[in-house]
Amino acid sequence: MKEDLHERAQKLIDAWHVEGLAANDRAWLESHLEACPVCAERAQATERALSSLRITTARVSAPLLARTRQRVRLRARELREHQARMRGLWVACALSWLLGVLTAPLMWWALQWLTRLTDLPKALWLAAFPLLWTIPAAAVIAALAWRRSRAPSENGYTEERV
Amino acid sequence: MLRTVYWFVNSMEQEAQELARGLRRRDPDLLDRLIEQYHYRLLRYLLVLTSSQETAEDLFQETWMRVLEKGRQYSARWKFETWLFAIARNLAIDLLRRRQPLSLEALLEPGEDEAPIQVQAADDATPFETAAQSEEARRIASLLHRLPPAYREVLVLRFQEDLDLNEIAAIVGTPLSTVKSRLYRGLDALRRYMEGHPS
Repeated sequence: MKEDLHERAQKLIDAWHVEGLAANDRAWLESHLEACPVCAERAQATERALSSLRITTARVSAPLLARTRQRVRLRARELREHQARMRGLWVACALSWLLGVLTAPLMWWALQWLTRLTDLPKALWLAAFPLLWTIPAAAVIAALAWRRSRAPSENGYTEERV
Repeated sequence: MLRTVYWFVNSMEQEAQELARGLRRRDPDLLDRLIEQYHYRLLRYLLVLTSSQETAEDLFQETWMRVLEKGRQYSARWKFETWLFAIARNLAIDLLRRRQPLSLEALLEPGEDEAPIQVQAADDATPFETAAQSEEARRIASLLHRLPPAYREVLVLRFQEDLDLNEIAAIVGTPLSTVKSRLYRGLDALRRYMEGHPS
């Protein structure tokens, strides 16, 4: 039998396992394996190697499983609590924004009146008006930054050991 | 027949969507079930990657924590194990990069030239071998651990985890052609070791 036929058979044996074969290649390989004991032995060796690979397993100890589950449950609770707090913060922000919008004409009028009463320059209340709008946002940003500095890092669990 | 196939595909999709919803909710019961279902496959993969029982166990825990935290990123389009192994792999690379100058990433991304595979000498039993149950399984685990990690990783993903080539490429983050080339070379090396001709 020609050497290149064996080479082709060997390539097809590997391809069969790695990516599958087209029907005509498979038919050719099967007929070749029937006629060629050397290639048939190689096909069996490959099959044996892969079968052994498939039966290999790993045992996970019960304490490791229990520890993992416990950590996951604890962290899930932590994250849920954090999420609930964040939801509260967002609701507060939305309310604050809504109130800001609703009271804007009133604030505008109040600042105008105050400036007239105290004889302050017009530029001052024009600057004060947007400032009043930015104060709640600045407070939220400060609160978030403070929370972030206190919260455990995103993957804080890498340091902690249960 | 077609109806059965449709029902099967449909129920798998529903299951994946249910899983995605549960992960988004960070449902601890679902996480428990997933840990139960995938624990040994995950640890086996980590042992193959790291060759260290302790490191694999650390990463095992961290992988599940990451699954919990990043659950919102899971999409029902992916098989859960593909996503799980990708997380585990990234964590392994990050951890080992911090620990050793020659990172796992370097080992896992070797040049794809045709240089012969450099193998380790057989020394003491690795944790993966210890974990392997039968004598034949221990022998194959020992042979597997003499292969460079990049090759043994794809062999394990293909032939132990039964993942398809696209899924392996997604986990490993390399082109399909690279995955195929590693599989062919790894398979060839494995067979040669089994035959006792590791040239």
